[in-house]
Amino acid sequence: MNDKPHDRSDVELDRYIALARQAPPDISGVERNFETRVMARIREGREPWYAWAWRLVPIFLVLTILLSGWSLSSSPVHPADPVTMLASGTQEVALLDNLTGE
Amino acid sequence: MYAPGVPVAVPDEDAVLVRSAIGGDDEAFKELVRRHKGTVLRSAARFARNPEELDDLGQETFLRVYRDLRSFRGDAPFRHWLSRITVHVCYDALRKRRREEKDVSLEVLAATVADPSTGNGPSAWLARMILDQAMSRLKPEDRLVITLYELEDRSVREVAELTGWSETRVKVRAFRARQALKRLIGGDDER
Repeated sequence: MNDKPHDRSDVELDRYIALARQAPPDISGVERNFETRVMARIREGREPWYAWAWRLVPIFLVLTILLSGWSLSSSPVHPADPVTMLASGTQEVALLDNLTGE
Repeated sequence: MYAPGVPVAVPDEDAVLVRSAIGGDDEAFKELVRRHKGTVLRSAARFARNPEELDDLGQETFLRVYRDLRSFRGDAPFRHWLSRITVHVCYDALRKRRREEKDVSLEVLAATVADPSTGNGPSAWLARMILDQAMSRLKPEDRLVITLYELEDRSVREVAELTGWSETRVKVRAFRARQALKRLIGGDDER
């Protein structure tokens, strides 16, 4: 087969190669249902982006809840009517200035 | 050369299946995979380190086939085209792979072989193990060429067609790979 000089190491290597050829790799385990796995990957790659969108819904739901909770707990109270603002007393002067137009 | 015992599909039937698959018939493509998975996996098994990697190589091959199906011209048998893709996928994997760890010392294996108490010589399984270990230390292109040329017993022309290299390059690579393998198996590790 090969046009190479054969010394002792060549003979040894050829012996290994000849023996290795006699031991074909065992593929039986991988061969089983192989086509099904290939087709599954093909279908997976074919899915449009929006087919994945629904899988993100729970993540966005949790994020929304967490952000809402954080927003409610950290935002300052802004009383809606002037009476409440007066009652709070903290912004009395500013409010009176505002009401009297000064 | 193709592995003995592997059913070789009639090219015309393959061509019909390819046309159907291009038209969107998944069952046709599945049939192509079913017909040729043995050939692909047997070739890829020479490069894979474990069943998981073999599965990956096989799947990657057929995914590439599916992706490039329209570029199959049909002027040569489908299995030739498939073999070229298999070789390229395996070569890409070899190039990506870092130099492998020594799972088993070559010296220990070689000593087992040389030990007269183990019998007259290495078993086929042991010889393959030693060769696998030695080949894992070769450069990717050397490993590719020695696998195709020596282990699969393909001609220089066939190797050149499969790899897309010139015949001269194949011969040079095969020679260098042999020299490296002889050094490795002889215990003279080049590292």
